[in-house]
Amino acid sequence: MTQPHINKRNALVHSDDKLSILLIDDNEARASALILALEHSRYQISHLLSSGASLLKKVDELKPDIVVIDIESPDRDILDSLHTLSNFNPKPIVMFSEQEDSDTIRRSVKSGVSAYVCGNADPKRVRAILDAALARFEEYQNVKQALAETKYELEAKKTIDSAKRMLIESRDMSENEAFHAMRKMAMDTGQKLEDVAKTLISMLKTIK
Amino acid sequence: MTKPDTNDCTDHTNDQVSPINLGFVPLTDSAPLIVAQSLGYFKKFNLDVKLRPQNSWSTLRDKLQTGVLDAAQLLAPMPLASSFGLGSLKVQMSVPMVLSQNGNAITLSPNLCDEILVASELSKLPFPLPAHLLNAIVERRTKNGKPALRFATVFPYSCHQYQLIDWLKTSNLHHEVEIITIPPSEMSKSLETGLIDGFCVGGPWNAKSVREGTGVTVLTSFNIWQDRAEKVLGTTHRFYQQQPETVAKLCAALLLACEWLQSLPNRFEAAKMMADSRYLDEPIDVIAPSLLGSCLTQQTSAPQSVAHYNRFYSGDASVVNAPSLSVQQWLLTKMVSSGQLSSEKVAPEQQRQILANIANTECFERALTILEKA
Repeated sequence: MTQPHINKRNALVHSDDKLSILLIDDNEARASALILALEHSRYQISHLLSSGASLLKKVDELKPDIVVIDIESPDRDILDSLHTLSNFNPKPIVMFSEQEDSDTIRRSVKSGVSAYVCGNADPKRVRAILDAALARFEEYQNVKQALAETKYELEAKKTIDSAKRMLIESRDMSENEAFHAMRKMAMDTGQKLEDVAKTLISMLKTIK
Repeated sequence: MTKPDTNDCTDHTNDQVSPINLGFVPLTDSAPLIVAQSLGYFKKFNLDVKLRPQNSWSTLRDKLQTGVLDAAQLLAPMPLASSFGLGSLKVQMSVPMVLSQNGNAITLSPNLCDEILVASELSKLPFPLPAHLLNAIVERRTKNGKPALRFATVFPYSCHQYQLIDWLKTSNLHHEVEIITIPPSEMSKSLETGLIDGFCVGGPWNAKSVREGTGVTVLTSFNIWQDRAEKVLGTTHRFYQQQPETVAKLCAALLLACEWLQSLPNRFEAAKMMADSRYLDEPIDVIAPSLLGSCLTQQTSAPQSVAHYNRFYSGDASVVNAPSLSVQQWLLTKMVSSGQLSSEKVAPEQQRQILANIANTECFERALTILEKA
């Protein structure tokens, strides 16, 4: 592998045997998972939290081959603008994937990962990194969504319970009667039980 | 049991309303979107619009290109950049209406302002500041081997970028000043830490920097370009071809909002709506001034009156909001003169086709017809 090239590192900035990846992600758990997934390869990963304007300096110091960044990070515009500068020319991964199926692009945008290829990294190897990143980001997207759903269900249950309590207190109903009254209202109006509860709460509050 | 919608504008051919994901970057000139949502204008046209705030223009663009968003409030030059494939995928965009004109301003660090005062032997900075007052500073920095002045805008394909360049050009300084990209929310801090010497950004970020004492606003974009398109409504050309009526209704609702924003008393109400944590999440005292035609300049000075600071509508819809071909041609000249697009690279016939596809006058006319019937 090692060819007797003099100053190979200097002659080729993006040397073939080691791709350096800059990962910008405020989600520490996701970042560690990605680093772990790529650990056995010969990639060199530097991890950064969203750093705002100082990102420019960091990118200039590290000169990464690939930047992987959370699509929701405000810092994306900084990276996106770098292609207009001559000394550093990152291509958004979506451009790199132009020849590939547009489904990859869509999946990448949806799962929250965006990536930039700087220089002439081998597309096959970049692809492997992108695949690993996509898998990790999707995994976390699912966890996040499951968490949001649980939270939403809990909120809904709380609203329904307090509407029920108000009915019991103000209308002298039993718990069972209150629940059935609400369910009937929901069925009659084609609304969700939770929405009926919300309406009831605001109505009962104004009547008071 | 639910009452059928008796509104005349109901699309009878398609009773199933699927939600429209409308993206935007929260700024003072997002007012038409937030007003249309808050006052129920989208519902009036039987649209179920979900407003989707985004943290960056690149992400907004990518989501629009890939269909994660159906429509979006875009920086006026973005549809051109996307249609020519500059810095992103090449996706033909369609602009059915202009949402606002003007709205940006240039703010300098207090240090740079002091340098200008000393160098020009003035006791007070003139408003609007002529760019030639920077000449002495640029010369001195070069002579002393200090780094060049560095300014920031929000995105390479933005009016902010071209306005800053045009202002600097008036004194032949456009090659002497470095211009970088920083997210709006980072501008104030970047001035304070000395990373940049000035920025060109939209509201409420200039007013915020002045209130915080980190910056001095020295001119607005109206002092550079008068009444030019700033933000536009954009969809992919493909989405428009699939759902022309939906896009026309979107325009109709947004036109109503723009018209509503013509009245000054309504403007304060708009500021109040936008202060909400779902939208700008900033205090009303930084959102309201520009909407009321007031440009805050410096903590210790009185504001300046700039009547057209934020312009959304005038007289009739065609004045501000028409998505004319000339709007696109004007932006294209700016893109070419700032070196982002080489005009020889694109065949004239292809260029004409791209521009004609962007300026979606057909949809705008349809929106006006819908409004007449409403």
